[in-house]
This record gives sequence, structure tokens and C-alpha cells, in this order.
Amino acid sequence: MGQKTDAAKNDTIKNDALQNDAVISVRDLNVKFHLRGQRLHALRGISLDIHQGESLAIVGESGSGKSVFIKNFIGLLDKNGWIDSGEIWFAGQDLAKLKDEKVWRKIRGGKIAMVMQDPMTSLNPLKTIGWQIAEALKLHQGLAGEAAKNKTAELLSDVGISLPETRMKQYPHEFSGGMRQRVVIAIALACNPEILICDEPTTALDVTIQAQILQLLKDLKEKHHLTTIYITHDLGVVANVADRIAVMYAGDVIEVGTCEEIFFQPKHPYTWSLLSSLPQLAAGEEELYCISGTPPNLFQTIQGDAFAPRNPWALQVDFLYRPPYFEVSPTHKAKTWLLDPRAPKIEPPAAIRRMMELGKQPQARAGRKESADAK
Amino acid sequence: MLKYTIRRLLGALLSLFIIVSVIFVLLRFMPMEGFLGAGYEKMSEDTVQSLLAEKGLLDPIPVQLFHFYKNLFQGDLGTSWVYRAGYPISKILASKIPVSLRLGLLSQALAIAVGIPLGALMAHARGKIWDKLGTGFIVLVEALPAAIYHLFLQLYGTSLLSLPLVFSKSNPVSLLLPVISVSLGSIAGYALWMRRYMLDNMNMDYVKLAQAKGVSGRDIMMKHVFRNAFVPMAQFLPGSILTTIIGSIYVEHLYSIPGTGGLLIDVIQRQDNAMVQVLVLLYSAIGIAGMFLGDFFMGLLDPRIQLVKGENNR
Repeated sequence: MGQKTDAAKNDTIKNDALQNDAVISVRDLNVKFHLRGQRLHALRGISLDIHQGESLAIVGESGSGKSVFIKNFIGLLDKNGWIDSGEIWFAGQDLAKLKDEKVWRKIRGGKIAMVMQDPMTSLNPLKTIGWQIAEALKLHQGLAGEAAKNKTAELLSDVGISLPETRMKQYPHEFSGGMRQRVVIAIALACNPEILICDEPTTALDVTIQAQILQLLKDLKEKHHLTTIYITHDLGVVANVADRIAVMYAGDVIEVGTCEEIFFQPKHPYTWSLLSSLPQLAAGEEELYCISGTPPNLFQTIQGDAFAPRNPWALQVDFLYRPPYFEVSPTHKAKTWLLDPRAPKIEPPAAIRRMMELGKQPQARAGRKESADAK
Repeated sequence: MLKYTIRRLLGALLSLFIIVSVIFVLLRFMPMEGFLGAGYEKMSEDTVQSLLAEKGLLDPIPVQLFHFYKNLFQGDLGTSWVYRAGYPISKILASKIPVSLRLGLLSQALAIAVGIPLGALMAHARGKIWDKLGTGFIVLVEALPAAIYHLFLQLYGTSLLSLPLVFSKSNPVSLLLPVISVSLGSIAGYALWMRRYMLDNMNMDYVKLAQAKGVSGRDIMMKHVFRNAFVPMAQFLPGSILTTIIGSIYVEHLYSIPGTGGLLIDVIQRQDNAMVQVLVLLYSAIGIAGMFLGDFFMGLLDPRIQLVKGENNR
């Protein structure tokens, strides 16, 4: 392919991205790792748009590639990994080809900030939290001295820490887990980003604190006009915060749709299985569903649909050909042959049918959030 | 903090008291002849008894111990019996310690100035050429018997660079080779541990957060990783520096340096028990002081370490 056609193709993607106000447009992203002398195909051709101002949740089990996927956005892929092919368009440039550390440092934090999973370990134990916030302020907002101090105090009260003037002089070990996560969020905000990535922001926290932190993130998203990306395997969190959900399995987004569509109209058998195994959706005495088998070995080439071997509803074609996206609605698409017009009609499992019934009653939709909160 | 220091000091004194008393009593269980030096075999039984009585060695052990401590508190370390019979121990030490201390402090300064940056550099360039060269150096120094590289240094230092072979007080250059010799082992040790602590910290989550914040690689190393990696080093550095008073037996011997190197072994072999007691007291005191200073510095560097419970309400 000549350079000209490449450029033309890039332009169309760029235009696409502009038209649907995507802040990040990922196209056919393939990421591989060198591991124990073998090649691991961690991300297998992901395409996904992240829209301006939305709250997107990426869900999937451990090892499905959620974290690897978003690490590409800040150029912090582990050293043994590389982008094999594909594009990540952000602010007019292809991050997949960006090698300049200086440009990356402006993007990291300044454009795309991140809240990490474990607040107990993600702060430097020897520096005061004020220092750690001020470091970000200096890097991305050029603030120092008194101005930085005032802004630090402002950020700390923003994230719900009282007595900011005193607290900023304290060290991380003087804060509880929930408070430390607030500090981590304050650091992310100090970078003044456009996009905030929250990598399992509540996994390490206890349930009551989880709800507070999620509420805080929601409030800050509105206040600072952020686009937020949540990575989680907790569907309760998802129901709480997400406008849109992308379900990942074996290094690919197998279904993506609005929160309602994924919960009430799921199409991919993996999404069915995932939802069926939620305890709060099980009915009375019914045995809780559990997905049998293990995720596929990504060292090997995967034939057909990656989920097929664990899929009780798998068709023969699932073992042979990888399904493309089938569009269910303009916002909803899934990679499953079940959506092909030629496929037999297959009834989703009981729990999903109940959800679909619920989805038809408008008042239940409002109730959804409470039921998820109750978890 | 003052209360803590006093408590630690009292604890140290108690430890010292136990160590010295035990050594003192054990030495009294050795054959008495040892206190009289080599010539005792030719002495008559009467002379032996009178000499022993003169030194107070026929008194009951608790009485002897009491006398020892009484003299100690008056600043009297006693006199040597065999090593330099009749000469005050304090004078022997006063002539030897400054020599070893100068050599030791200079080599420690060199070791810290070279070893710690070397370890940090190796961690930063992990798996690259600097790391491999550094590892080669560490393995060489740690694996070879020190005597071999000391000898090589002296051989090539004196022949190729025509540096002085023998130490002389008036010529500071004559200290160069001994200082390098003594510091090599410490350089390797400091580099090894610094590299390890740096690597431990480089894999911490806070480093990932700093990266995600957009902090440059250099700043992450300098402002975040180095300081964290230095905390465990701070614990054993004071001890290492203080124990240089004990001297280096081989290097001092090689360059004819009149220091304390091997003094304890020497006096044990020659059964100069009065000197053994004093040296044990001195070296134990240094060991204990080193540990205390290590804890103190670590507490200064790491806000999580509280030497005093509830001193400031963090």
C-alpha cells in the first residue's frame, strides 16, 4: 500500500472520528507480548470509539486484556509488549506510532490521566501528599509556590478531604484506603486531563467506601467535563457509572452497547454468561450460573470465536470462522454468529430472559441502579 | 525523642555490661598462666602466686569484676600484660585508632561516593552494558579472596603508578592504595544492595502512578525511587562507618600501617586478657552505637518509621 492511500485512509478514520465526536478512535489494534520465549497475542484487532464526555466501562475477566488495552493510551505498555498493527487516534495523532517520549509525557496526565487500582501502594510513601499533588500541578499547569499550594488545597477539598491545609502536609500512611484513593484522584485532576481512566478504582476498597468513591468520580466528571473510562470486572460498578459498556473477551471487544442495551438486550453468549453468573440476578432456589472451562490460550492462534469452546450455545460456524460485528442498533453491536440472519433462533438463558422482560417495563430501568447498588 | 534516646542508651549500657561481664568471667576460667605471658614456666611457684596476687587475680571473681568497673568509671582502662607489658592500654589505643580511623573513613567516603551511585546507575540501566560491567565488578570483588586483589593492587599500583609501597605518616599519597583496597569490598556491597533496593522500588505502584502523571524517567529515579531505595541503606551505613575503627588486618599488614587491624586476634592469641576485655568493650560499644544511629537515620528519612510511639499524632 502506498503512502498516499495510507494517508487517505487515515483521513477517513480521522473524519469518522470527528463526525461521531470520538476523542479516542481505536482501529484494528493488535498488541503482542514476548513471554517465556513465546509470542502472546494479547489484543486481537480491537476497534472502538470513545466519545466526548461519555462514561465508558470496559468489562471482562482477568486476562481479557482490559488493562493492556488502556495502557496503550498512555504509552505505558510493558517493555516486552508492542503494538503489532492498528491505530489509536487521539487529538489528531496516531498514538500507536508515537515514539517521542516528550510528547508522551504531555499526554500522560496532561491529556489522559489515570486512577490506579490499589491506593495503598500507588502513592510514594516518603513524600507528603501535598508534594505529590504539586508535582502534577507543576508538570501540567506550571504552578509553583503559593499558587500551587492554594490549588492543592482546592483540589483536596474537591475530592472531599477536609482540613486540606493540614492534610497536605501529611504522608500517605496517615490516610485510610478510601482517603488515599481520593488523593490519587486529586493527583489525576491536578494534571487537568481531558480523559480520566479509572483502572478498577474500587477493587481494593470496602463496599461502603466503593460507593462514595464512585459518586465522587461521577461528580468530578460533571464538574470537570471529563471523558471517563472505567476498567472493571464488577458489573455492579458498571451499572452505577457507565453510559456505555464494552465487553472484552480474549483480547477483543465482543459486544458494545449502551448500559441498557448490554443489561437488557445482551446478544453475545459471553455477555449472557457473564450476566447470568451475577448473584443478584439469580431467582430464588435456582443454582447460580457459572461459566465452565477456562479462557483460551493466547499463545496459540484462535480459530473462530474465542468463546466457542466454553459456549453451550455455540454453532458449528463458531469453531471455524471468527464472527464480524453485527449491528443490533446504531449504538449496539456484537461479534456473534447468532446475529446472522441464517443462524437458528436461540433462546437466551432464563436469567437473561427475565432481564429482557424487566427491560420492557420502564420503571424497572430506574430500579436497575438500585439493585446493582444493593450489591 | 530525648526520652527515646535515653531509653536506647540505657539499653545499650545494659547490653554492654552483660557482654563485658560475660567475657570477663570467661577469661577468668582460662588457665591462670595466660595472664603472665610466655615466661611463666621458668618462674617458681612462689613468684607466680605473688604476681597473680599483685594483679588481684586471686580475689574472688565478683571482687575482680567490681575493681574492673571501678577503674573503668575512673577512665582507667588498665595496663597491658603481655602485648606491651605494663603500658597503659588507653595509650596503645590512642596511637592506633586514629590511624585505622583515617584509613577507614576515607575508604568509606570513597565507597559511598562510588558504590551507591554505581548501584543506582546499574538499576537504571538494568540489563544493559553498565549493569553488566557493574555486575562483573561485584562478582569479581565478592568472589575473589580479598587477599588476591589487595596484592594485585599493591603490585601494579606500586610498579605501574610508582605509588609508595609502605605507609608513612608524613606522605598522604601513601594512603591512596590502602584506601582503594579497603573500599573495594564496600563499593561492591553498596552497589549490590543499592541496585537491588532500586529495582524493588522501580516495580512499585507509586512509580507507575508517577509515570502516568507524566513525570520524566530521570525525575522518577531521582525524586521517587532513589530516596525510597536509600532508606534501608541508611540503616547499615553508620555501622559500617563506625566499625572501620576495628581496622583492616590484611591491608594494614600489607602496607605496614600501624593501625588496629588484627589487634583483637593478636591479643587473644597472646592471652593479653586485659586488652581483650577492653577491645571487646570498645567494639561492642561501636556495634551497638552503629545500630542505634542506623535506626535513627532511617527514622529521619522515612516518615512511616516512628521511633517513639505516639510522639506526633500521625
